[in-house]
Amino acid sequence: MKRMFGLLAGAVAALALGANIAAADLKISFSAENYPPFYEKGADGKWTGWEVEIQQAICAAMKEKCEIVDVAWDGIIPALVAKKIDAIIASMSITEERMQTIAFSDKYYNTPAVLVAPKKSAFDGKPESLKGKIVGVQVSTTHANYAEKYFKGSTVKTYQNFDDHNQDLAAGRVDAVVGDSLAFQDFLKSAGGACCEVKANLEDLAIFGPGVGVGIRKEDKDLLAKVNAAIKQIRADGTYDKISKKYFNFNIYGN
Amino acid sequence: MQSSLELLALWPPGWGMNLLRGLGSTVLIALGAYALGLAIGLAGAMGKIHGGRFLRGALEIYTTLIRAIPELVLILLLYYAGTDALNVLLESLGFARIDISGLAAGIYVLGFVQGAYTTEVLRAAILAVPAGQVEAARAIGMTPGQAYRRIVIPAMLPFALPGLANLWLILTKDTALLAVVGFGELAQATRFAASKTKAFFTFYMAAGALYLALSLASSVLFSALERHFRRGQPAHG
Repeated sequence: MKRMFGLLAGAVAALALGANIAAADLKISFSAENYPPFYEKGADGKWTGWEVEIQQAICAAMKEKCEIVDVAWDGIIPALVAKKIDAIIASMSITEERMQTIAFSDKYYNTPAVLVAPKKSAFDGKPESLKGKIVGVQVSTTHANYAEKYFKGSTVKTYQNFDDHNQDLAAGRVDAVVGDSLAFQDFLKSAGGACCEVKANLEDLAIFGPGVGVGIRKEDKDLLAKVNAAIKQIRADGTYDKISKKYFNFNIYGN
Repeated sequence: MQSSLELLALWPPGWGMNLLRGLGSTVLIALGAYALGLAIGLAGAMGKIHGGRFLRGALEIYTTLIRAIPELVLILLLYYAGTDALNVLLESLGFARIDISGLAAGIYVLGFVQGAYTTEVLRAAILAVPAGQVEAARAIGMTPGQAYRRIVIPAMLPFALPGLANLWLILTKDTALLAVVGFGELAQATRFAASKTKAFFTFYMAAGALYLALSLASSVLFSALERHFRRGQPAHG
């Protein structure tokens, strides 16, 4: 019995060692999900995608060592505030609402939001056409805010992951989904997405804001300045365009 | 569409190794949390039985609160707010911030939750040991500590083990809740694999099979433990 006490004590002591003194590396998070073509994790455990390469370019331009930390999307702002991570590079749109809690760098891309629905449906993006229907969105996104604001006559169903509402769209459990035009590209090309197509572009500057920026804690003003300088630098020296050409056949930076 | 066997192959582009690594993390968290839970539970049970009014009250609040709040809420609360509060405390005391890894945080959080349930299981088991046995141990000159180690704990284990086995099985599945904080255990690894390959059915079935295997292996182990600690007692049924 004494031995069992020893084991317990040992286990508890080992746990105490699990806490390390924080390293100086900059901790960056994509959301812990697949969001192609921006970021996705392969079977080898490596992140790939446009935003991953942009992140590496930004870190290189800042001359910082960056470490990737996996955080779930709905906990990503709390993780930033709690200093578990130092920057969010996860296709997060700059909005007034989020700026009450965190700061954003200048935008590094901007793509329109769209309504995706089965090909045979007659939705045109106007609230009347979706009356009484079920609209799927990812929780805590600008797309969710848009659906809440405009589709009052519809049932708005929120999902944890981008993939989840696409699965339900393919399975017919939701009538339409609202999301980012680019993120839908891969889905619409896949077998599951063959059912559906883009029905309308959705616009509302108040909701969608100026674009996607790097999320940073409000008090980290130095880091914010460095990230902005890095974005300018990779835009100017051609790195940004070189990376973007591999993924997109149009100007992802927007106007 | 790749076949299920190719998808589950152990080496990339197969995802089998990711699932197994996820299972490894799941088992590691469960073991760590269980050990922490047992330590808290034993201390808590002894405190509830022998402690003064203040200690008993504090433990009552702990077990009541923890058992009343859903694990998911506790995990979010302790993972984000808890570690931040700890760091604020450390900084105000002049220490450096610490970075608590997902693994350690998961173990602490689930262990803290397990501790409350384990406290109650062990308290009931300790109270089920006939008082005469403890009195006899004291009468032949054992110190209270010796009496606990030699008499109370071995005698209470047969009462405690079925409850402890239940807690372990629940814990192995509670680890899946850590996926909400982005920790890469089995549920999270499965979600990644499924969303990348779109083979949702294949991967969730595979994950289900792995959880089942873990449960079955645990049941065998706990049966053996129970047989061992029940030796010398009359068999029932």
